[in-house]
Amino acid sequence: MAAKAFGIVTSTPRRVNVYGLQDYRPAGAFTFIGKFRVIDFPVSNFSNSGIKNIQVYLNKHPKALTDHLGTGRNYNLNSKRDRLQLFYCNHHMENEVYNTDVSDYLDNLTFIEELPQDYVIIAPCYMIYKQDYSALLDEHILSGADITMLYHKVNNAKDHFLNCRVMGVDQDQVVTSLEINRGNRQSQCVFMDTYVMKKSLFIDLVQRTAKYSSTYSLSQMLGVLIKREELEIRGVQHKGFFASVDDLQSYYESNMSLLDPKNQKDLFQDDWWIYTRTTDTNPSRIYESAQVKDSMIANGCHIEGTVEHSIIGRAVHIGKGAVVKNSIILDHAQIGDDIQLDSQIVDKYARITRTKELLNTPDELGYVHRADRL
Amino acid sequence: MKQGNMLAMILAGGRGSRLHELTDKVAKPAVYYGGKYRIVDFPLSNCANSGINVVGVLTQYESVLLNSYVAAGSRWGLDSADAGVFVLTPREKADSGLDVYRGTADAISQNIDFIDQYNPEYLLILSGDHIYKMNYDKMLQAHIEQGANATIAVRPVPIKEASRFGIMNTNEAGDIVEFEEKPAHPKSNLASMGIYIFNWKDLRKLLISDMKDPDSDHDFGKNIIPTMLADNKKLIAYRFEGYWKDVGTIDSLWEANMDLLDKKNELDLSDPTWRIYSEDASSLPAYIGPDAEIDRVYLTQGTVVEGMAKNSVLSTLSQVKAGAKVIDTVLMPKAKVEEGATVTRAIVASGVKIGKGAVVGSADSENIILVSKNVKGVE
Repeated sequence: MAAKAFGIVTSTPRRVNVYGLQDYRPAGAFTFIGKFRVIDFPVSNFSNSGIKNIQVYLNKHPKALTDHLGTGRNYNLNSKRDRLQLFYCNHHMENEVYNTDVSDYLDNLTFIEELPQDYVIIAPCYMIYKQDYSALLDEHILSGADITMLYHKVNNAKDHFLNCRVMGVDQDQVVTSLEINRGNRQSQCVFMDTYVMKKSLFIDLVQRTAKYSSTYSLSQMLGVLIKREELEIRGVQHKGFFASVDDLQSYYESNMSLLDPKNQKDLFQDDWWIYTRTTDTNPSRIYESAQVKDSMIANGCHIEGTVEHSIIGRAVHIGKGAVVKNSIILDHAQIGDDIQLDSQIVDKYARITRTKELLNTPDELGYVHRADRL
Repeated sequence: MKQGNMLAMILAGGRGSRLHELTDKVAKPAVYYGGKYRIVDFPLSNCANSGINVVGVLTQYESVLLNSYVAAGSRWGLDSADAGVFVLTPREKADSGLDVYRGTADAISQNIDFIDQYNPEYLLILSGDHIYKMNYDKMLQAHIEQGANATIAVRPVPIKEASRFGIMNTNEAGDIVEFEEKPAHPKSNLASMGIYIFNWKDLRKLLISDMKDPDSDHDFGKNIIPTMLADNKKLIAYRFEGYWKDVGTIDSLWEANMDLLDKKNELDLSDPTWRIYSEDASSLPAYIGPDAEIDRVYLTQGTVVEGMAKNSVLSTLSQVKAGAKVIDTVLMPKAKVEEGATVTRAIVASGVKIGKGAVVGSADSENIILVSKNVKGVE
């Protein structure tokens, strides 16, 4: 059966700001647990849901994601009816406030209008979760709502999800408010930037938002519409693993949370593959001198030192006598002999051979820039 | 096919009976090796990296899995418009009945129609059960430069072992003057690797007359090469230096896996200019639990180690549960060693479970044990 909806994966919103990492690539291109990119999750969710017309919007640093996503072949988007479109949207250099998802959609409105599907499902590039979007669409159609928004209940919103929006939902699942999380209470319904509506309503909203304010995003406009009670907007609760990668701390914590086998089982299921681009990297070699515990190791690594409670990306070398704890080491980084690292995020191709110690704590993370020599 | 191009045929052979149950369901080239590969990934990747676009894989038996595996030519990048990987089993033809491949040469003879479609200038013959990295294009350049009728890849072996191989005796110029199969008193230490380049037009004629010869074994080593030598054709030896391993037995397959643990191993699988392509699992990276002990291990994505692993190769989605011990062992994909079990000096076949507390293999066994059926736990 042909899908009734097409998918949109949004560009990185303005409020997402991951120190260091984001200087080199958009949020969707961040490496996740050593071998995936964050965008693999929404794109795989779409593909697994049978929604195989997908538009991905990019604004800054398009190279990382155009390389990674390609034609969508790695995401099981192989048939001639499937289509993964990449839209590079003109980035407004003169003023950051103009860079909204609405301006992305306006730039490409003809390509949205020409799609045959009646519905659109919008998903963010920076959140990690598993969701059957076709089930969400069915629920949306059945409820008769104009818009259905996906949310996740959390109990740590005072100091987490501070770059996300939170929503009020009454007992009938009607959305009563939508605003930025100000950290004033722990228990919140975090909006997962994921929503469903008719394509015609979507186009209408995009145009209305642009007239309302040139700096408004679609979710800001949703906040206005909810206040006015103009449309029937309903919430659907998401269950299972959920993470938002919107600053360095949440990037770190979302990666580390996958060291818990319970979360691994929740996010990675045999009937719901998370696809990624293959690099055909050979397996990893753990040497006699190595000690590895409570860690994930991607392929192509040489581990000669000690690794504890850490995530090691592809083709990383960890030298003899080196001790890496509570850290995330990204692809092709080299940690020399006898180097001590604690609570570091080491970006790709960095080489640490002369600085003997970089010791931080999981609450005060250290970051080593891409290709730096320390 | 463009002028000067070379088509490759991989002789994947029969059941590989010396690999026992590993080849019950799959042809030998589809047997797993090195954590994430299948044996056939090596010749196929070598072809792709050497710029060869069309590859035939010749097999006698059990081709469903091999067929579906190699049909996805995209794994090796062999899926552009003029490329492809084809599994060629014996077929019934209009003018002849269904026949098994009677020998290595007959396997090619029976596929003359396939090769003719591409009209290649050169034909490369490969064997499907060797682990090595080789640039066939360099071999072709030598073949063309020296104006050879056939080029045979050889590698030096210790002279003491030479009587186990097909030995090429060459003159000073490197031309082959004599071929001896397993000679009792070898005159040279250059062993044939079963890799040949022929000029297709010449070989085609030879194959057609060989097919009609009732006394022929239809074998390259026994018939085609000796015939060419008798006809005074120019046959040259192309010397290969580097890692090469025949993985035709359980012991040699185990050894080839163990070589990967050696820091000085010559087989560099991480060279970005000569990758060995394979299927990649959509799995987590390797996960090593908080109580795991891990010492000298080659492991790939999807592996879970919660117990102890030493001197071992752990393949895609294999598991070593808490309190289990895996020593000097190859776990093939999805093999699972449950809580408290111990496996020593073994190959555990794909998907096989070693039950809780079971003990398999021993440190002083003469041969490597192949575990191809689930082993019940000891409660």
